[in-house]
Amino acid sequence: MWASCRRLRALRHWSYERRETALCALSLLLVCVLSACAFVLPTYLLLPLAGLNGLLVIHGLLRRGSIWGVLKLGLVQLSITLSLYLILYGVEHLAQGAVVVARIILATIPGWWLCITAAPERIGEVLSAFLPTKWAFVVAASLSLLPYMADEIREIYQIQCLRGARITPKALRNPKNWSELVYCVLFPVLIQLLKLSRQMAVAAQSRHFGIAQRPTHWHSPRDKND
Amino acid sequence: MTKKIPLSLQDSLFVGFCATLLVALTGMLRLKLGLSGHSMFLMSFFYLICYGVLGRFGSMTACGVIAGIVAMALGVGKGGPMILLKFALPAIAMDLVALLLPLSMNLHWRCVILGIAGCIAWAGKVALTNVLAGMALDVVLIQWGLSVLKGGFFATLGAWLVPPVLTRLKAHDLLHRDKF
Repeated sequence: MWASCRRLRALRHWSYERRETALCALSLLLVCVLSACAFVLPTYLLLPLAGLNGLLVIHGLLRRGSIWGVLKLGLVQLSITLSLYLILYGVEHLAQGAVVVARIILATIPGWWLCITAAPERIGEVLSAFLPTKWAFVVAASLSLLPYMADEIREIYQIQCLRGARITPKALRNPKNWSELVYCVLFPVLIQLLKLSRQMAVAAQSRHFGIAQRPTHWHSPRDKND
Repeated sequence: MTKKIPLSLQDSLFVGFCATLLVALTGMLRLKLGLSGHSMFLMSFFYLICYGVLGRFGSMTACGVIAGIVAMALGVGKGGPMILLKFALPAIAMDLVALLLPLSMNLHWRCVILGIAGCIAWAGKVALTNVLAGMALDVVLIQWGLSVLKGGFFATLGAWLVPPVLTRLKAHDLLHRDKF
């Protein structure tokens, strides 16, 4: 009885994981289709597409995403394109320029939505269906090590500032000091990356990475609590 | 440059870390500067570091594709699947041009040429998006030219910094190559 109970729990857990991955794959597909539609559809069908994108925006905002970046991109693109259309073709073609910018924004919104709704490790798992196992591992490792890398950079920057390097925000106003930033921060970071990649490769290979035909994927327990 | 295709796990991880760092720094700089074309500085720097450290055909392309995937996952460029092209196209162009350049050429000039080749491809992606969106050809060409000018300046700056960094890495015995 205990064995059947455990099997049932494992089956439920497995189906939950499969559902999460399938949802992420569907989201990725939806994003690709919607982005392509923004460029391919005729102008009169852009309004329904905008409605669909509006739903994605509402969903993204409900998931506490910030739309400010997309809005800024749209405003900059709108100002450059409309001024060029005004100079080259006159006022009567301004609407055409606005449609072009609308298409670019409609192609951008689905990507923004995906980044808010899909967890990076799920995207990594979906990508592993298309990428070789080694590269899927590299992408997942790089994503998970990003906070560690950010800490390393911050630490190196602070230590170099204490040593008297001219890389404080005030000193960097002078372009003469920009090269110092490269030699004092980027160069030690590259050395750290070389060391880290060596350590990780040894750690992974000592755990028989790349030997199994069907590799397994980690599912964080916190996903279920979200 | 040797033409062995498979990279070791260590080299692949280094490429992946460089790509992630590139994406993270690009996102940070965008917040601070708000300048168009500045991403070419970091792109040419990191791609050429991969070219110099690994010295293999395809290392820059691998870095570009991974940077695109990471940017898509992190939502840095707000471009969805198109962001993949933004990072991958310059890398592919740089790898192809690297095949044509003679190894006897000065490393500084090689890096600058590769940086500019990457910048032209990067601007090409912007032009391609605009053409697909139905923008007039004159406007597309002007925007492409402006992108090449702005991106080319930053790409040259990034490329110029690579040879001294590679020399220092070699001096610290971190590279296994005798000649760049």
